[in-house]
Amino acid sequence: MRNPLEVEFLGVRFPNPVVTASGTFNYGKEYAHLYPLSRLGAITTKGTSPRPIPGAPPPRIAETEAGMLNAIGLENKGVDAYLKDELPWLKAQGARVIVNVFGESPAEFALVAGKVSPYADLVEVNLSCPNVHAGGLPYAHDPEAAADVIRAVKDATDRPVLAKLSPEGPTLKVAEAAEHAGADGFSLINTIRGMRIDLETKRPVLGHKTGGLSGPVIKPIAVRLVWELYQNTDKPILGMGGIRTVEDALEFALAGARMVAIGTATFADPYAPIKLVQGLEAFFKDRGDTWLDWVGGAQVR
Amino acid sequence: MTAWDDHWMRLVSKEVHGERGVLVFEAPTLAEALEPGQFLNLEAPGRLLRRPMAPAVVAGRVLVFVRARGVGTRSLLGLPVGASLRALGPLGNAFPLPAGRAVLVSGGTGVGPMLFLARRLAALGHEVVLFHGARDASEGFLLPFLRRSAAEVRFFTEDGSLGERGFPTELLPFALRPGDTVYAVGPEPLMEKAARAAQAMALPAYVSLEAPMACGVGSCLSCRVELRSGPVHVCKAGPVFPAEEVFFAEPA
Repeated sequence: MRNPLEVEFLGVRFPNPVVTASGTFNYGKEYAHLYPLSRLGAITTKGTSPRPIPGAPPPRIAETEAGMLNAIGLENKGVDAYLKDELPWLKAQGARVIVNVFGESPAEFALVAGKVSPYADLVEVNLSCPNVHAGGLPYAHDPEAAADVIRAVKDATDRPVLAKLSPEGPTLKVAEAAEHAGADGFSLINTIRGMRIDLETKRPVLGHKTGGLSGPVIKPIAVRLVWELYQNTDKPILGMGGIRTVEDALEFALAGARMVAIGTATFADPYAPIKLVQGLEAFFKDRGDTWLDWVGGAQVR
Repeated sequence: MTAWDDHWMRLVSKEVHGERGVLVFEAPTLAEALEPGQFLNLEAPGRLLRRPMAPAVVAGRVLVFVRARGVGTRSLLGLPVGASLRALGPLGNAFPLPAGRAVLVSGGTGVGPMLFLARRLAALGHEVVLFHGARDASEGFLLPFLRRSAAEVRFFTEDGSLGERGFPTELLPFALRPGDTVYAVGPEPLMEKAARAAQAMALPAYVSLEAPMACGVGSCLSCRVELRSGPVHVCKAGPVFPAEEVFFAEPA
């Protein structure tokens, strides 16, 4: 019998459309004793750079109404340790892996992408990291800079490349530039910068002062951006932003997301990704239609 | 050690005194797995993220000592008896065993893991002394719990309204003797003074660190702290660390 959740995405077959979002599942090891990682559509690993990065000063997280702020500061162990300790292990679990890459220059993005290519099912390019050659403004704020990164990564890997878009800056212009530069697909949205200030100390709560807002509070913004992008591209979209339930995932599908990622919800419930898979399986059982029938199904009056 | 999982905990009784309280949960699968020093990432009603807390296990029940710090901890204190919550656990490491006598120093909600350790060590035949530092007599509700710990208990209040007057760490240097192991959980100044008293006599000392965290299991990387030996994440490498590893904040 046909699996109603199966998705073909950029030439890769996934048993279901549920992906973990980068930075919310580390490299998967923490959760491997709870459920087989191969049960998920794919795992997107923690953003990886050419060298280890210690990250931002504490505190690094703060809860908000219906969301959370984080400023981890791109902490990661660097691509060489990632290749040695994590990626082969993760592939051996039978998991499909989306490798999130970043660097300080297009050449650094390309270096990481090239090194991980033998293991990566897809490469996801984090355009929200700061471009040190443009005063720390994220690549995602400058279509040309974003295009330079995508071009370099495409030259370095034979795997399909997703441009991960920020909800800040000219999102659709960046998407268009990335597509012209060779991006095969898109993932969105990254977090939205926010801030909390403590009333007693009168200081920002986060060590980095500002941080990325995620969770249910950003879901309508994410749905809107996925929907807008879907009108403007034929490339497949991995949608994310506040997804937890079957209803959330279906809403993203209607907006145009071919696959969906679950992020902050996993912090609140480590079983959230597998519950979403099981929930979608239950939803499509005996229905007659499939996940793909929902993708881009939003009716526009 | 038992691998962590998500467990149900049912509130069977509670005692709330203003900003502070103790919640007593029935959680058989957790109670038998927890070791003193380990923590839970506990659901807070109506909130997105869980709250990391180190409990005590007493007579098969899981005791969570709470001080209201924000909306999440307030919602926990307001939880109705009979309600159930989910908790990830057991998380993190446990206190190492002492060679001889154990001297425990607690402040605030640090009383949970110290009470747990006192009971465990006493059951193993160790001599245990427990110093608790309270602000005032409003923490008096802790006394019956502490007295059931089979340790010698010394209770201090800053204003002298109950027990001995002052801070437990003022007396600590005079109470320590060779062969002791010191354990301290509470506000940073309390842990730092306890660590110094131990260090002055070259005694081993252990403290438990707190850090804001989201997942509690090593995935979000929020709870990074700098130790003398390098950076670690509190949830996985800790929360218990040898005191000499810890940089305490400079006194103001």
